[in-house]
Amino acid sequence: MSVRTLKGKRRWLALGGCLIWLAITFFPLYWVLITSFKTPIAVVGGPTYLPFVDFEPSLTAWSELLSGQRGQFFNTFWASTIIGLSASVAATFIGAMAAYALVRFTFRFRLLSALIFVVIAFGGFLLGRHVLGYGQGISLIYSFVAALALAVISSRFRLPGPELGNNDIVFWFVSQRMFPPIVAAFALYLMYTEMGKLGFKLVDSYIGLTFAYIAFSLPIVIWLMRDFFEALPVEVEEAAMVDNVPSWRIFFGIVLPMSKPGLIATFMITLAFVWNEFLFALFLTNSKWQTLPILVAGQNSQRGDEWWAISAAALVAIIPMMVMAGLLSRLMRSGLLLGAIK
Amino acid sequence: MTRNDPIKHFFIWPALLIVLLISIFPLVYSLTTSFMSMRLVPPTPARFVGFGNYIDLLQNPRFWHVAGTTTLIAFISVGLQYVIGLSVALALNSKVPGEGIFRVSFLLPMLVAPVAVALIARQVLNPTMGPLNELMSALGFPNLPFLTQTSWALGSIIAVEVWQWTPFVILMLLAGLQTLPDDVYEAAALENATPWQQFRDITFPMLLPISVAVVFIRLIESYKIIDTVFVMTGGGPGISTETLTLFAYQEGFKKFNLGYTSALSFLFLIVITVIGLVYLAVLKPYLEKHK
Repeated sequence: MSVRTLKGKRRWLALGGCLIWLAITFFPLYWVLITSFKTPIAVVGGPTYLPFVDFEPSLTAWSELLSGQRGQFFNTFWASTIIGLSASVAATFIGAMAAYALVRFTFRFRLLSALIFVVIAFGGFLLGRHVLGYGQGISLIYSFVAALALAVISSRFRLPGPELGNNDIVFWFVSQRMFPPIVAAFALYLMYTEMGKLGFKLVDSYIGLTFAYIAFSLPIVIWLMRDFFEALPVEVEEAAMVDNVPSWRIFFGIVLPMSKPGLIATFMITLAFVWNEFLFALFLTNSKWQTLPILVAGQNSQRGDEWWAISAAALVAIIPMMVMAGLLSRLMRSGLLLGAIK
Repeated sequence: MTRNDPIKHFFIWPALLIVLLISIFPLVYSLTTSFMSMRLVPPTPARFVGFGNYIDLLQNPRFWHVAGTTTLIAFISVGLQYVIGLSVALALNSKVPGEGIFRVSFLLPMLVAPVAVALIARQVLNPTMGPLNELMSALGFPNLPFLTQTSWALGSIIAVEVWQWTPFVILMLLAGLQTLPDDVYEAAALENATPWQQFRDITFPMLLPISVAVVFIRLIESYKIIDTVFVMTGGGPGISTETLTLFAYQEGFKKFNLGYTSALSFLFLIVITVIGLVYLAVLKPYLEKHK
């Protein structure tokens, strides 16, 4: 019993407020659930609320949906699942490695090297495209490789200018989340189209969308995992180092198993983001690798107001995340997010 | 303690490479495109126009209108999210009866795809079959044009944003509330401070750093809104609910006006950065006062 616990009338007032918010939270979800079991006539006839009492439930919408009468539903569901799972696994893994490196190792580089990357990438692209007359795709590849190589080589020399360290790299990663995704999505679409002209199909392909999602999820993975690794006791790793265990074995054999709860929670948060993501999927897919949000949004415009079908489709997109919410809330209680927001 | 080992490069480069390739490099490409006049349909060769696209945009009243709409939606919805979120978090933190159930169920809206949320909202707000209009009629209001009249449509979009993202505010503030030390409250209770005084002088100031961070994140994210608007109103009626991202999508994918769209996305980036910097600059004195 803490001193902050509410007493008397205030306690009931707070309960009332919470109940109102609970009703607001649940009513729309309840509504979509019952609508998916209504017949077309029951939907058009005005609002009804209780199955078996003021309308007869029917399975028409669901059987139509699951039997494939409503277009490419299974393909889309699988595309969403495959892309969502592989992108979240890859992002969690790659991000965890980077987060671990940023917590346990020292990184130093000069601001000038970073500037070299930007200037060479920018200038090289313009040079290749407009002076040397290469195609856009070729100039992109050349300038990227040249910029990266020069930036890495230049970091080996003692350059003038301010020195940057781990915190700056973390800030740089996390700041990627601040960009409006439209900037990246549109440019990525153009870049992928150029690559397509060179023979690498990236628009509407598994690789293209998965890589976009990995890059899009990395900032949040690094943010969450970094705090998790910082909370791990360093003594275990130090003991292993005394025994001359190589760093990669310390990471895979000791650190990853110890941080399993963090990895699972991060994976689930990433999966939720990727599963619901709309903008990249809208730009980068058109048929084969279309994901659920695009299909669900399309139900709206193509078929007018067939609410029973729309509800069933929306529920297919929602239910996996509902299950996740249940699992996540158990992890949340263990205080996982406490570290992340400090 | 950090250590130095060449293997660190093996750990960090995969992430670095992917972010450079997929987020930074497109930015470079898009920035060069924004200084050119370039169309896919009808195809016109790229032509350097300097700041031409930017000047066109800044002179286009539609851009200012869209920026205004986005700002309105973002500020009002984040304000409401913060007020509701803080109240619910306070209630949950002070062990309201049934706190465990509330805690799990309040998370739900956050995990529902925004596209699905928008479709559900369209059903609930439907003028003939929607339950909300029936409720309104029962209360004596006329049939309300929730999605077809500008002010109602804006209000509906804001309501949907609040419904979906208040859980995030609750989650973060609740985590913050739980880190506050008990002894300060015990001292306040000894001094017979009223609950309101405790909130005003202890809870709110101590929660300020987290509040600032949460509002900042939500504000930035709200500016990117497209899914809900895309499905609920499609930017209509007219362009009255169009947001910045939706405007960029229309220009880029309906008109294939590449240079213009790139310039638009960079203006958007500048707007977000300026808002972020102003926000942090305004709040800095308060944050330092309460440290």
